[in-house]
Amino acid sequence: MKTLLSIAGGIAGPPAGMIGGVYDRWCPRNVMIKSRPAAAPPAVETPLVYAHGLAALVTLLISVCFGFLAAMEMVAPDVAGGSPWLTWGRLRYDHTQGIMLGWLGNAFFAFLYHAVPVLSGRSVTSPKLGQWLFGLWNFAVVLPGWILVLAGHSQPLEWAEFPLVVDAFVVLCLVLAAVQFLPPFFSRGLEDLYVSSWYIIGGLVFTLLSYPMGNFVPELVPGARGAAFSGLWIHDAVGLFVTPLALAIIYFVIPAATRKPIYSHFLSMLGFWLLFFLYPLNGTHHYVFSVIPMIAQIGAITASTLLGVDVIIVVANLLLSLRGTGWFPGDPALRFVGTGTVFYLIVSIQGSVQAQMSVNQSVHFTDWVVGHSHMAMLGFASFAALGGIVHAWQRIPWARYHAGMINAGYWLLFAGLIMMVTDLTIAGLVESSAWKSAAPWIESVRAAKPYWAVRVLTFVPIGAGFLFVMTGLFVGEPGDGLKSIQRELGLEPVEAIAPRFAQEVG
Amino acid sequence: MKRLLRMSYLVAGLAGVGFFAMSILLLGVWPGQALERQIEQTRPQHPPAPTVSEQRGRVIYGREGCAYCHTQQIRYLDNDVRRFGKATLAWETIFDYPQLWGTRRVGPDLSREAGVRSSDWQFTHLYGPRGVVADSVMPAFPWLFDGDPDRPNQEARDLVDYLETLGRNRALAGPEGEAHARESCNCSDDERRYAFGTGLLNASPAMARRTGDFPKLAAGDPARGREVYRQNCLSCHGPRGEGDGKGAAGLHPRPANLAEREYGADRLSFALWNGVTGTAMPAWRELPMADLAAVAEVVRGFHAKQPEPQIPQAVLELGARVYSDRCAQCHGTTGAGDGSAAAQFPIAPTNFRTQRPDIATSLRALREGIQGTPMAPWAGELSEAELSAVAYYVRTFFTGGAP
Repeated sequence: MKTLLSIAGGIAGPPAGMIGGVYDRWCPRNVMIKSRPAAAPPAVETPLVYAHGLAALVTLLISVCFGFLAAMEMVAPDVAGGSPWLTWGRLRYDHTQGIMLGWLGNAFFAFLYHAVPVLSGRSVTSPKLGQWLFGLWNFAVVLPGWILVLAGHSQPLEWAEFPLVVDAFVVLCLVLAAVQFLPPFFSRGLEDLYVSSWYIIGGLVFTLLSYPMGNFVPELVPGARGAAFSGLWIHDAVGLFVTPLALAIIYFVIPAATRKPIYSHFLSMLGFWLLFFLYPLNGTHHYVFSVIPMIAQIGAITASTLLGVDVIIVVANLLLSLRGTGWFPGDPALRFVGTGTVFYLIVSIQGSVQAQMSVNQSVHFTDWVVGHSHMAMLGFASFAALGGIVHAWQRIPWARYHAGMINAGYWLLFAGLIMMVTDLTIAGLVESSAWKSAAPWIESVRAAKPYWAVRVLTFVPIGAGFLFVMTGLFVGEPGDGLKSIQRELGLEPVEAIAPRFAQEVG
Repeated sequence: MKRLLRMSYLVAGLAGVGFFAMSILLLGVWPGQALERQIEQTRPQHPPAPTVSEQRGRVIYGREGCAYCHTQQIRYLDNDVRRFGKATLAWETIFDYPQLWGTRRVGPDLSREAGVRSSDWQFTHLYGPRGVVADSVMPAFPWLFDGDPDRPNQEARDLVDYLETLGRNRALAGPEGEAHARESCNCSDDERRYAFGTGLLNASPAMARRTGDFPKLAAGDPARGREVYRQNCLSCHGPRGEGDGKGAAGLHPRPANLAEREYGADRLSFALWNGVTGTAMPAWRELPMADLAAVAEVVRGFHAKQPEPQIPQAVLELGARVYSDRCAQCHGTTGAGDGSAAAQFPIAPTNFRTQRPDIATSLRALREGIQGTPMAPWAGELSEAELSAVAYYVRTFFTGGAP
């Protein structure tokens, strides 16, 4: 079994593909294991990939149900029968915290256990540490966070709703994650790091730095001054945690699944550095026309505009790398990340536009922004994360895999997301025009109700879509994932690769 | 070459951390210092800090996610200032640990909520929002009550105490505070206009006024009136205007029974335009004039005109005597609700010149008093003959004219 696992690790992702010799003209073959080959092929901790993948999908379904209930209560406010545990506010907190920490956090960890050994040629620091990280993340952060929020212990700060005691465990886990995933990169030296590695390093380090800022500072600095920090964190949560790790997945899966190099390593790195330069400077755009000094607002709006330019560079590079695969590639992992890339472009340009003062004054505070967040977290991040999980799953030899279910899930999610974002965007415009009119406030609520009803309906395709993808990863024959990529991509069978892989890295 | 490369990544890595630190300095620390300077320049000397109860209420407000539908930030924009009042100044937020500005507005902004609603309205609204706002989608918070809106528990009282702090300090700063802030604020002209401009400090259209102008309402469209009534009035005043709507139980005084009083046109216009201070009846200034006229028409329609009985002169004389002994001090010698004691009450005594209660209504009020108002029961004090005499007598004040 152990050899089997290490083989699975070996063929998992770019290096196996790279061994044939194609990677990138700026980033020569075997970029992940080039400089100092490890003595033995790095082991992928497949049980941890599997455990985090399972936890990710379970917490995803629960978080989606929180969202569904909250959406339902906007249409039928008394549906939960007046239970404090199911009141809208608490469900809303658990929805977004569950999505960010439970679903995306676990999905990213699952992907990192697959990708870090492949990218660095080194094993992660310790499987034992991995078990601790898994246990703490799920049973000291996500689960107690949810329960405490429902029981009425929370923090009314966006993307920071779990109570402070849980935040302490988040920070601890982020430290553990850094210890787990970063040393493999440093021990092999940083030259010729592939761009995914940069995003992983950046994402882990900057999340660790910004999480305490967003969660602790507004408790100590009051009002408008604290809001300036909250604004930074609202964007850093998305920009320094979700985006880098989602991009790490996309940059990883595309060359690994297409077996072609990324179009331009130079553009990759340009995009990476611009992103880390610009993203942290965006936050104040959540409080445009507030009392926060106008010059800071204008700075943030400028950074938001430039960020759109950066995303065009990143996405152009990714789409050029996807040439030849078609809009909807056969490999579901590749299809998820490809679609996620397109949503990333749309949502980022939308973000740049809605940061502009003329647009912001109309759409801010409306459902337009809720639609925007769903395109970001669902269309971009969740599609990328699903792609990452499916990709890693295909390379676990004993994992079950059912391509048909995953395909069905993809289409349901695609349709559901388009439906939801369109609906909420229109709702935002309707609300905005009601607010500008002389009509009483309640008119805007009445006008939005049909759109909120449609949003409830989008739960059907979205919930079913996630359920199908999840089912697709737990039914079917063990090893079907491996067979499917061999079939789809014409890869050599695993038995043929293994001896050669051992020979090359040895 | 290799060393150079390694160096370049080191430089890049430091730059990355530098970018992050720069963002905090540029968009967190530096604006914070600018805000602190502005706070020092503009704040009043001693704004009252929140009490323990108000602080507990704030925690409940945070816990239940109120800030995720109600912003507490009036932006420096015409639309915000027009709807909610003067733009939020930095010093108004100095007690907010953590800030509750919010990024989504499903319900209205609450920055200037203090003084807008009566506490019985707030309790009824928290207990069952659709009891007072028919089309509201706000969650109900029954766990803050012991079974009905009349019995708020400590948490509900804390929460309503907290709501009464929203905007209070700015109001307390008064004209002197505004003038001081306007002069010493290092603001741009635009900011000055939105924060101190000519608009109302609190622009909530629901805020009731004891005195004030009101429009003359023309005749309205009854079909439209029924719709406006259903949307805005029915939840308290009930389907037939009898004051028995879903939200009525928690309100003190109870919503007016519109079917047992005859209202003069001006009385209706005044109440719709200015609300009824001291009660849960808000002002409806935000409704279009045509809607107000239409709903006034509906309200008038609830009262069935009865044939005026011929009252013997002796009865009216007895009524006049009792009235001047017992009633005039509050209701005024001419029945205009302007007696010498009237000013001290939070709720204005009934003005019999502009509304004429049915006999049964007056008798009930005289015998039992009116809960939630200073109107006391007179059953033990006055004989049956005196009670009915005064009930007949007050009807003679009615002119249908101005309040």
